[in-house]
Amino acid sequence: MTAVDPLVPAGEAAGADIHSDLASLRRVWRLAGSRRGRVARGVAFRFLQSLSLGLAFGGVVWMLTGLAGGRAMDVRWAGELTALMAASLAGQVLFGYLAARDSWLASFALAGDLRLSILDHLRRLPMGFHLSRHRGDTVTALTSDMQMLESFLSDALGRIAQAFGLPVVAVAFFLVRDWAVGLALLAPMAAALPVFMWSSRRLARLGIVRQDLQAAAGARMIEFVQGIATVRAFNRMAKGEESFRAAVEAFRALSIQMVARLSMPMALFGATLMAGVPVVMLVTGLRYQAGSIDTATCVAALVLVFAAYAPLLGLAQVMELVRMADASLTRMDRILTAKPLPTPAVPAEPRGFALRFEAVDFAYRAGQPMLSGVDFAAPERTMTAIVGPSGSGKSTMLSLIARFWDVGAGAVRIGGVDVRDLSEERLASLITVVFQDVYLFAGTLFDNIAFGRAGASRADVEAAAHAAQAHDFIAALPDGYDTRVGEGGATLSGGERQRVSIARAILKDAPIVLLDEATAAIDPSNELAIQKALASLVADKTLVVVAHRLSTIRAADQILVLDGGRIVERGGHTDLLADNGLYRRLWDGRSRAAGWRIR
Amino acid sequence: MTKVVHRTAAKWISDMTDITRDGPAVGEADRRPKPGADAPDYLASLKLLSRFLAGSRLHLAAAVVIATAAVACELLPIVAVCRVLTAVLADGIDAALLLKAAGVALAAVIVGYALMGAAVGLSHVVAFDVLCRLRLALARHLGTLPLGWFEGRKSGDAKKLVIDEPESMELIFAHGIPEGVSALATWLAVSAWLIAVDWRMALATMALTPISFAALVLGMRRGGRRAADYQRAGARMNASIVEFLAGMAVVKIFNRSGDSFAETAGAVHGYAAVETAWARDYLPLGGTFFALAPAGIVVILPVGAFLMAAGSLDLPTLALFVILGANYSQPLMKLFNQFHTLAHISMGSTRVAEALAEPPQPDSGRRVALAGHDVVFENVSFGYGPVDVLSDVSFTARAGAVTALVGPSGAGKSTVAGLVARFRDPRAGRVTLGGVDLRDIALDQLMETVAFVFQDSFLFSDTIAANIRYGDPRASDAEVEAAARAARAHDFITALPDGYATRLGDRGRQLSGGERQRIAIARAILKDAPVIVLDEATAFADPDNEAAIQEAIGALTAGRTLIVVAHRLHTVMAADQILVLDGGRVAERGRHDDLVAGGGLYARLWRDYTEARDLGLKPAAAPFPVPREEALPR
Repeated sequence: MTAVDPLVPAGEAAGADIHSDLASLRRVWRLAGSRRGRVARGVAFRFLQSLSLGLAFGGVVWMLTGLAGGRAMDVRWAGELTALMAASLAGQVLFGYLAARDSWLASFALAGDLRLSILDHLRRLPMGFHLSRHRGDTVTALTSDMQMLESFLSDALGRIAQAFGLPVVAVAFFLVRDWAVGLALLAPMAAALPVFMWSSRRLARLGIVRQDLQAAAGARMIEFVQGIATVRAFNRMAKGEESFRAAVEAFRALSIQMVARLSMPMALFGATLMAGVPVVMLVTGLRYQAGSIDTATCVAALVLVFAAYAPLLGLAQVMELVRMADASLTRMDRILTAKPLPTPAVPAEPRGFALRFEAVDFAYRAGQPMLSGVDFAAPERTMTAIVGPSGSGKSTMLSLIARFWDVGAGAVRIGGVDVRDLSEERLASLITVVFQDVYLFAGTLFDNIAFGRAGASRADVEAAAHAAQAHDFIAALPDGYDTRVGEGGATLSGGERQRVSIARAILKDAPIVLLDEATAAIDPSNELAIQKALASLVADKTLVVVAHRLSTIRAADQILVLDGGRIVERGGHTDLLADNGLYRRLWDGRSRAAGWRIR
Repeated sequence: MTKVVHRTAAKWISDMTDITRDGPAVGEADRRPKPGADAPDYLASLKLLSRFLAGSRLHLAAAVVIATAAVACELLPIVAVCRVLTAVLADGIDAALLLKAAGVALAAVIVGYALMGAAVGLSHVVAFDVLCRLRLALARHLGTLPLGWFEGRKSGDAKKLVIDEPESMELIFAHGIPEGVSALATWLAVSAWLIAVDWRMALATMALTPISFAALVLGMRRGGRRAADYQRAGARMNASIVEFLAGMAVVKIFNRSGDSFAETAGAVHGYAAVETAWARDYLPLGGTFFALAPAGIVVILPVGAFLMAAGSLDLPTLALFVILGANYSQPLMKLFNQFHTLAHISMGSTRVAEALAEPPQPDSGRRVALAGHDVVFENVSFGYGPVDVLSDVSFTARAGAVTALVGPSGAGKSTVAGLVARFRDPRAGRVTLGGVDLRDIALDQLMETVAFVFQDSFLFSDTIAANIRYGDPRASDAEVEAAARAARAHDFITALPDGYATRLGDRGRQLSGGERQRIAIARAILKDAPVIVLDEATAFADPDNEAAIQEAIGALTAGRTLIVVAHRLHTVMAADQILVLDGGRVAERGRHDDLVAGGGLYARLWRDYTEARDLGLKPAAAPFPVPREEALPR
């Protein structure tokens, strides 16, 4: 039913924490919230559908015991049986339909609700949360994980109810008729239950082991493909293929070993349950022979024994779905339990736009400090440049001003006010961030620039584009400002996209500009245009720039030289050069590069 | 210089855009027959995998036979119960019969599950063997494709190609074939058995099956009317979610999360509405399938009753049908599910099939004598699609000289560089090396002759020494170190705790871009090839690295044929020949001074370049005198 091999658990299913099957069900139930009524109705209808099938087996018992008791079949009785069967069929079809309707519609509605509440929660989370997550995890939680949950609610839950309907009725019926037969029917189920629990946990646990073991072999296989251009360029295909072969074979060996360890518990569960057939047969026969039960009970037990066990056999498959849904839930929980940054009860209002770092410590991970004791002041309308080797914490400082994360110790202040005491909207209105990589929305160029300020007019947008050196190339496009960008739209070069984003920032006209300069070289004309665009963006602003080109920042009011998360030097360009420290070395390297040419 | 693993907004955004292009993965454990997907080749994966079955055929056949035997064992307890039941109804039960029946049933259960375990184990071995062969064939085939095929692929593609897609096909042999065949065998055997016992009761047993399948098909057809809506709403929702997340940083900075949320919420509501509408169409018929299929007993019993009333059916026969008939539809349901799964997989495993269908790059395989190492382009045209990216490009890159390629973005510079190493072959014209058309030179000879330094070099998850030694596997430690010194990489390598033995993980991401690039250059130095192509080798370098990289390149180039793509024009000022590309044509050519004096495109690029270099932010506010950066010849 599922495209997942229960013996080869999908990575997602295996990766999550192991919950017992019951705990998983409880989690789903908690999430079901306002849709619980409908979900429960769907499950109840499935149970009724199963009981309707039970009605048919009741007819079977009625007929067989009657016949065994010597009653002759006649048309009238046959008619009555037919009516009973018709009622059973009607019940199965009706309840089956109602069950599907309720559980499907409830699952669609629930998935919709849940998507919205996750999305709503996501936008309240700090950027730091988004930046610290792995590729696509958030999208997965909202799309395929949600689909997993939908199919669990619409399908698996009902199948569980269905699996138990007939067996429960059968056991109850026989316990009433004769304790021995009832117990004989029940015992294998009771014995199979722990086997099932054990095997399902073992499956989940081995799944994790398998995933870990295979990750390494898998990584080597992936690397071969990613590096194939290099492998080929160095004529090393033979070696590359050999190491790929080793990885593939290791992968194969591990997979086979795992299956051998996994298939045993699964078979054991089935065998334990189905061993009930001979047990019931034997007990029933002996009781009948001893005269402890009547023919009716004996016949009923023999006829119903398969019908009682068969539905339970399917449970193994359903439980795989439960585990996968559980893994999906875990990933959703990771989003839902993340805390938004605390917001001030009474937001403060900054006095001016000066920036100040007060003894700021920060770490992405405990024990690995990224910034230590960073302390500086940037008066309003001045330019502060941050330079330093890669990994020294330059971009992190910008992130803290924008409150993508909160500081570990110390404070970041704007206009004398701790950024944590500003409302999110106020903080956002104070700063503009120019990212290295540009994000343009699917929409027209006009929309993308006008995004900078609500209600911007055509003239505003064009003026911003002019200032950002973007007007000329936009005007040269066939549709001008109405050109669509993004999926299926015009393809702009990296430099052009950068200028569009600068136009957007110019339109916003925030008093503080945070600029993370792009490192990648682009063609000279684009580079010049971007330099000019940035110059108009930052005029008269409080500017903090992470610079890669030292020529950009010679004019900075202060230059902070960062190394290993600390400010090791600070001052103006000339002073720093005279100090003969790290800045001097960076500058010399730069000058050497500039003076250097091939050959 | 280890780098703390933290992801920048830029990286995150580009990840997100990757996902947009690809579309989010769709959950697979979904048995609802989703509408859409016009008539895919349901057997595509099976056909693909069958090519790699050689060597596993016997195992597969054994798995099928054992699986069928296991299913037969499932039938034995039914026979045993029928025996006992017949005896009870005839009032002739005895302990011996009871014990025998119970014994047979128990043995059948145990043997059946043991056989099933064996069949499952065997079929998984077959599946993993086939995957192993498929992956090796894939690797071998990828080795023959033109390198251009790999350009511009997302890093996630590699995982999908060698891991995810083959893994999903595992089900076909691990479960699909043995379970499908055994289900079919059981169904046929039981049908034959029932017909042989009593054809009228057999018909009654089978009656509901076609009706239930008809209901399913009609339901799917009714729901199918909404297929287009369904797909559109799903695509819209997914795109909107991805956009919502990808634009998060920008949306937050511009205080616009309300608008963006409203748009995405609309898409989510729209999807739920279409899903609901589709379900309302599909369910009345399609939903009854799962109720009807296992309900056979409701037909068997009345038919049996009337036949008995007419005196033409006896009790034991009825009992047999009651027991056997109740589960009659099970193998068919199994078969249906296997088919469903197969269809699902077939639609997913497209990348592998595409890669295998890609024609290999022609390789003459002939090692030829080269008359020197001049690289000559003769009227070369090239295009990825119908439009030419290069038109009629001709030039000679002399051995021992530097040929620089400059020009605006998209002018075709990297394409020219790629043609030298045969990443792709020209559409018209030819490229020669030492007077021989590249296509007539054995590929491995070409690769020995040409060293290529990429924009973003690939490092392997291995030690630094091993990565450098990749250039020449026979190089001694001293030679590796000499190459690293020449590439200005020795100092930072020895500053690492483990020095040359430092293991690089995740393609060397713990190093900075400039450091990775210098290792790549050391590798190229060790290779000692007479022709060197540098494709914007310093593009991603920080300024603190750029000088070192450029010195490294200097060590690499002495006395060779050098073709270099550059944006930072000062690096090519002294080139023997500068080719200025514009729109896929050579617009200008010559030496730096002549080109600047010529007042054409190059002169403009040079003017912009020098101006951009000298333009600081806030130049007017400079609080102190700024020294000239350097004295460039003007």
